[in-house]
Amino acid sequence: MAETAIELANVSVTVNRVSLLKNVSAGIPKGKITALIGPNGAGKTTLVLAILGVIPYEGEIFFIRKGRRETTRPRIGYVPQRLDFDRGLPLTVLDFLTLSSQRRPLWLGYQQAKRDKALEALREIGVEHLRERQIGRLSGGELQRVMLAMAISRDPEILLLDEPAAGVDVSGEVLFCEFMTRVQREGHLTMMIVSHDLSIVTGHAEHVICLNRTVQCQGGAPEVLTPENIMAVYGPHAGLYRHGKDTRPGASATCIHPLHHK
Amino acid sequence: MESLFATIYSLMDTALPFAWAASLFMKRAFLEIMLITPLCAIVGIQVVNYRMAFFSDAISHSAFAGIALGLLLNINPLLTMVVFGVLVALGIAKFKTRSDLPMDTIIGVFFAATIALGIAIISARKGLSQTLSPFLFGDVLTIAEMEIAITFALFAVVLIFIALSYNRLLLTGINEPLARSQDIPVKIYNYIFAIILAVVVTVGIRTIGMLLITALLIVPPASARNVSRNVRQMFWYSLVFAWVSGIAGLVISFYTDIATGASIILTASLCFLLTFIISLVRR
Repeated sequence: MAETAIELANVSVTVNRVSLLKNVSAGIPKGKITALIGPNGAGKTTLVLAILGVIPYEGEIFFIRKGRRETTRPRIGYVPQRLDFDRGLPLTVLDFLTLSSQRRPLWLGYQQAKRDKALEALREIGVEHLRERQIGRLSGGELQRVMLAMAISRDPEILLLDEPAAGVDVSGEVLFCEFMTRVQREGHLTMMIVSHDLSIVTGHAEHVICLNRTVQCQGGAPEVLTPENIMAVYGPHAGLYRHGKDTRPGASATCIHPLHHK
Repeated sequence: MESLFATIYSLMDTALPFAWAASLFMKRAFLEIMLITPLCAIVGIQVVNYRMAFFSDAISHSAFAGIALGLLLNINPLLTMVVFGVLVALGIAKFKTRSDLPMDTIIGVFFAATIALGIAIISARKGLSQTLSPFLFGDVLTIAEMEIAITFALFAVVLIFIALSYNRLLLTGINEPLARSQDIPVKIYNYIFAIILAVVVTVGIRTIGMLLITALLIVPPASARNVSRNVRQMFWYSLVFAWVSGIAGLVISFYTDIATGASIILTASLCFLLTFIISLVRR
């Protein structure tokens, strides 16, 4: 068993007396890609927000660093499922990335080092050409990639991606899968992806947690991603599901890499 | 402080050799406007970003009750206006965390309650209504040197806060969960910003009036947004539009006898219209 990066111990979330998560206990392995799967309303996003410390929860979330369990959060890169924001805001992609890393107010210009770091992250995700575009004018796929660039520009120890392929076009998906492959190969980053898209899950995840208010199954991808488990989590039509219902040939065929790349 | 102001006035005589700037009351009005308009603009950028125009309106209208309370209790009404405004701002912010009601509904409740309180006091004490009129429409021409000094101190404090937290405030306004995921203490920033907004709004009422102060907060940043391509431009254009509207409004009011607050906001609105047309042409 690989070293654990995040340990969830009886995590429960209740909002307005409605239980969204109940006694979730799971381990997220260090330096690997974990997929969090489950039907709509299973509490996947809620669990991500609890790990981020954005919503209150019961139970404990530990971050294991150098063999010690800590409750202090390390640097976490986060890509939300959907970014609701004021699309008329004159904010360029470069503004957006430096916003989170730079303390000097943006109206006094960029700090050279922060600017370089942001450009490096944009380059890594293949969206450097968007740097002067306003974020409100990006397509859904472009925005997702910019969000991913923002997340990695913070040099995170943990990366949490909530439905990263939602709204991404085919070329975006290729880049995204290449990024995941690279992360896997390097093995420095602990990554958790919430995804409906089984092609992404089967293509990249090394560890899988099936969630439906509580943990239904968890373990190494080959053991967990059995037809029986998938059917139990998603229902009998799971095998047909692809993101965006894009039926064009090759639309979701970009994550067909073998399960393990190492 | 007197000698400091005397020096400033003599410098103004050299720099502004115009008829409108000759009298002492116009010099004081000019100084106050040079401070209050950019102050409102830098706070207003976040008001627009946070969609807090209605919140700001509720604070400015709460001044009605704040002033009435001061007059009733025989305390300086300027002080009660600011303190009451801050309490209303904190009340709305606290209520929001404890209620599932939409923000505009909560603000609407506070808005109505404070206006009703003001009317209740004024109607019970008939003599008070005269004293309120300068606060409704503003009266920058009677501004005192002490008030200019207070505005200057407030400007300095707000500028330091905005300089230290501008990026974080902006990110919080864009998306709160994203900001919180980056360890930004969103709640603390929200409270501090609510307090700053309440103080700026209530201090600005003396110049622009409670009916129009929200306009001074949102119109210059809105005009800036029409023509800005990035965050840096939005900030500086907001300042420029606020200054231009303020000074042009003051000069226009001197030659036309229009209330200064109204002429400033009309000038700012004209700026908005022009920048809006520019934005349409650019598309």
